[in-house]
This record gives sequence, C-alpha cells and structure tokens, in this order.
Amino acid sequence: MSFLSSLMNALPGAAAQGLAWGIMAIGVYITFRILDVADLTVDGSLATGGAVCVMLIRGGFNPWLALLCAMLAGMLAGFITGLFHTRCGIPAILAGILTQLALYSINLRIMDSKANQALSVDKYPLLLSQRYVRELSLKNPLPLLLIFTVAVIAALYWFFGTEKGSSLRATGANPNMARAQGINTNSNIVLGLMLSNGLVALSGALLAQYQGSSDINMGRGAIVIGLAAVIIGEVIFGKVFMNFGLKLFAVSIGAIIYYIVLQIVLQLGLNTNDLKLITALIVAIFLAIPYWKSKMFRHKVQPQSAKNGGNGHA
Amino acid sequence: MNTKRIVSLFASLSLVLSMSLGLTGCGDKAAQDDNQGSTDGESTKYTVGICQLVQHEALDAATQGFIDALNEALPGEVEFQTKNASGDSANCSTIVNGFVSDKVDLIMANATGALTAAAAATSDIPILGTSITAYGVALDIDDFDGTVGGNISGTSDLADLEAQANMISEWFPEAKKVALLFCSGEPNSRYQIEEVAKCLSDKGIETKEFAFTDTNDVASVTQSAADYADVVYVPTDNTAASNTEAIANILVPAGVPAICGEEGICKGCGVATLSINYYDLGVTTGKMAAKILTGEANISEMPIEFTEATPKYNPTMCETLGIEPRDGYTAIEG
Repeated sequence: MSFLSSLMNALPGAAAQGLAWGIMAIGVYITFRILDVADLTVDGSLATGGAVCVMLIRGGFNPWLALLCAMLAGMLAGFITGLFHTRCGIPAILAGILTQLALYSINLRIMDSKANQALSVDKYPLLLSQRYVRELSLKNPLPLLLIFTVAVIAALYWFFGTEKGSSLRATGANPNMARAQGINTNSNIVLGLMLSNGLVALSGALLAQYQGSSDINMGRGAIVIGLAAVIIGEVIFGKVFMNFGLKLFAVSIGAIIYYIVLQIVLQLGLNTNDLKLITALIVAIFLAIPYWKSKMFRHKVQPQSAKNGGNGHA
Repeated sequence: MNTKRIVSLFASLSLVLSMSLGLTGCGDKAAQDDNQGSTDGESTKYTVGICQLVQHEALDAATQGFIDALNEALPGEVEFQTKNASGDSANCSTIVNGFVSDKVDLIMANATGALTAAAAATSDIPILGTSITAYGVALDIDDFDGTVGGNISGTSDLADLEAQANMISEWFPEAKKVALLFCSGEPNSRYQIEEVAKCLSDKGIETKEFAFTDTNDVASVTQSAADYADVVYVPTDNTAASNTEAIANILVPAGVPAICGEEGICKGCGVATLSINYYDLGVTTGKMAAKILTGEANISEMPIEFTEATPKYNPTMCETLGIEPRDGYTAIEG
C-alpha cells in the first residue's frame, strides 16, 4: 500500500486523538498563557479524569454523568494545587508537582488498586471509541469530539468576557495592577487552576473511552503534549488568529498537527525506540520557529516578539 | 496587513512541513532495520504489525520469538512493522491506528496496554496478545472461559500461581510470614499476588502487601518487607525486574530469601522460581499467527495458550544464604 493512501487512512485516527488532546491543551493554555503559571498538576489530573470516568461507567453510571464527575474530580485536583500555592505559599511549579505526585496514589485508589482498567465498547454504552473512527455513522467519534471542542471554546470565550473572566486575565497579565484594582488574585489563581484541570480531566475521560481503558501512566508527559499544542498553534496561527476564541481553536488545531506529525513519523517507519527523542525534537523545532522567523523575515517588532512569541491575548 | 499575515502563515507552514520531512527523511534507514528478517516488500504476502508497550528484556524476547517463529513457518512471506510505544499508552493508540489504516493482516499486541488499545481500535483485524497475564482481567470479560472470541486470542505469561505458592512452603516449611513485594503501577502483579496470597492463607501462612510505586522507592519498601517477613515473594513484575540488584542488596544482608515469579528476577535477587521463557512464549504466539494467516485456524475459536514452566534455582543466592537446593530444580546459569 502506498504511503500516501495509508497516511490518508490514518488521518481520522490522528485527528480524533488530536481533538481529544486539544481539550487538554486548551486547559494548559489557560494556566500557561492566561494565568502565566506553569501548572504540572495536569500529568496527574489527566489520569484522574480517565480513572473516574472508567470506574463510574463500569459501575453502571451514564457516560455523560461519568464525564461530568471526571471533570469535577479534575477541578478538585486543581483546587488542591491552588490551595498549596496560595494558602501555603508553595511556588506554583512545586505545588503542581506535589499534587501530581499525590494523584498517582489517589488514581490507584480510584481504580481499585489496579494500574489498568479496561472499558470495552462491546460491553458499555461508550460515547466514543477508536473502533468507529473510520466509519461514516453516528458512532464516529470525530463529530462528538468536534462538538466538545466547540462547546468548550464557546464557554471559555463567554467566560473570559465576563467581569470575573476579565479579572482572571488581569491576574495573569499584571498581578500587582490587578490587586491595585481590588481584584483578589489568589482566588483567581485557584479558579484558573480548577478550570484548567477540569478541562484536562475531561480530556482524560474522553481519551480513556477512546482507547478503551484507563491507565495509571496515561498522563505521564501530558504537559509536554499540551505545551507542544499551544506552541504549534501559536506558531502557525499566531499572526492570523487575533480573536480569543480563534486562539483557543488554534491550540486545538495545534494538538491535531502534533498527532499528525507523530503519525507521519511512525508511518515512515522510524525506529520507535527513538520516539521520545523525536517528540522532544518536534516540540523543540516548533519552539524555535518563532525565533528563526524573526531572524529570517526581520519584523519591525522584532526584539519583543522574539522573546515571548505572541504573548498578548485579546 | 492581511496579506502580510497570510504570507507569514504560509512561511510557517512550509517551515513546519520541511521540518517534518527532514525528520522523517532520516527515518527510512531505521525502517529497514526495523523489518528484521523480512525480504523485499514485493515477495511478501502478509503484513504483521507488532505493538509493544515498552522496551523491556522479557517483552523484547517475546517479540523476537514471535518474529523468529513466523519467519520459520512462513519464510519470506511476512513483513513486520515493529513499533514500541516507549511506555506511553497513548502512543499505543497512535501505533495501532497506523496498523489499522495500513490494513495489516494481523496485529501482535505485546503487553496489556497494547492489547486494550488494539481491541479498542478494530474488531476485524485478528489481534494476538502476548505477555498478557490474565485476559479476563485485561479485557474485562465476565466468566472468562479461556477463549476470548471475536478477533482476539493470544498467549498468557501466567505461571501456575498455586505451584509458586507451594514452592514457598516446599523451600521454607517454617515460614510464618510472607511479604508480597510488587509495583502498584502494574495490573498483572496485583492479580498474581492476590492469587498467591489466597493459596498461602489456605496453608495458614500470613501475608502482607508491600507495594512500591517506581524505581525510587524500591529500596525503602523492600527494607520494610525484609523487616516483616521470613520469606519474600516477588511476582512477574517489570519494575521489580529492573531493580533486582537493589532488592538483593537489602534482602541478602537481612538474610531473607525470595521466591520469584520469573527467571530474570530470580537471577538477580531470588532463590527459586517457576520460570517462563518469554522467547518461547513469543514462539507460541508466532505459531498461532501462522495458522491464522494461512487460514488454517479461526481466531475466534482459538483458546488462550500457555507455555511450559520449568522449576529453577539460583545457585549463587542459595550459597550466600546457606540454603540447600531442592531436588527437581535446575540451576540458573550466568
């Protein structure tokens, strides 16, 4: 089979995986870009979302309800990180690492002390499964994932336009100024972390259904994929998408591109022992592109945009 | 302004494209290395996708056994796509997605994470699991009777757990307390220690679980296990397998012997084991694959297969701890 036709065949699967991870990446965008906090809780809360969802569905719950519960569990994880950071004075990056570490044990507890819990599409009424990704039917996971992505973006677009949302953005942009305006920055940071980890857990819940199991290690390295998606989206669409909603959409597309590139690399038969190296290279290249571009095209605003590629959000 | 934006969009897109091409350009050579044992693409009749969860001695041996057995049964007719998820279950989905879109003739899923991803991806392409301990647990099947059915079958690395529990009382009749040492991150380990604990409690032997989460806390958990127990039991556990030296360094000074689930672990820190050879396990899977590819057997009717386990002992460890080897056990070499 020729490379191109097999790649075309693989695209739906890569797109579906990218869309599911895209929701996670939007969560990372909230902390990393809007709140200006590096939150490492996500490596744990992604697995938490998957674990809660799988265990509830196995326990006979409605899958929609399971998704909601997974999201709430993720928000709780974000809440804990927020408390560590704002109430205990632990630096954000360390607070996230601590929660992530604790979540390993908590996730094991949720999954009944088993490292892997299967969730078969033949046995439970799952919302989405990788099995139908190439089928032209209502069971295809792509439309549902697209609806989820659009709904998440719409909700965030609305939220960040409200007074509360604006104060959250102000907290990230300039905390001192925000405090001077009478904004409680601490409660905003907690809120932002909850929002972010809720989305990450939602993504984990969707992924667990998609791949047919939840795994204790499924979140390992998730932050890298999330950051990669954010940065790929910014590099490619940073100059075209100015609207906040479109910026979030760019993050989602960034995740899809990440998975398509990964799929191409795999299809071409690269030795998979080098997978982690390749992942790191892909991310490094996308991180470097804004810098190279500024060298090659010599934009007028060069010095600043080279330092922090596209920081200003609408 | 608008044209400027579009120009820069194209510029970045082309950069991205050339980057990924550059990256993959160097991949072609690796691809040839990957397809070990296969001849040129034109003469091959079947394509087999191998998805292995993680780089690991036992899993590598099983994959090799599988490839060798298929090459022997169908010389030159099989092309292999060997992929390793590097321990990340999300990568299994990506890899299997590639196999399904390539329309491979058969998928070999090496370890539990690979099997669940493959099962989620297709209900048409035959899937053979390897190095799976309990299919009923891994695939969540109620009242599992030994045959999965549908498009899934395979081989199990489950050694006779009751026989392993019996080994503990055979070698150490005076043992009152047994520590069960395993990694909490591995689904198969829990299943094994639960079964062994059941058998031991029937004999009136007390057991306690000692679980480590990763390499970093192996030493401290082993220390408390050694403090508690007369004998330690280590199941077939990947993390334990990577840390046999650390375990031995605590058990030997404490004078506590260990019975292990697998030869590799026993070689490092155990006294005796009922060993499964993962290469042989892969060979068994390979023979099943040959039957499926040639149409000789229908995968939905094939029961899960096992390989013979051999009782073995570790001569160096027996000498160090002053234990007399029992009859019927062969010495582990090396």
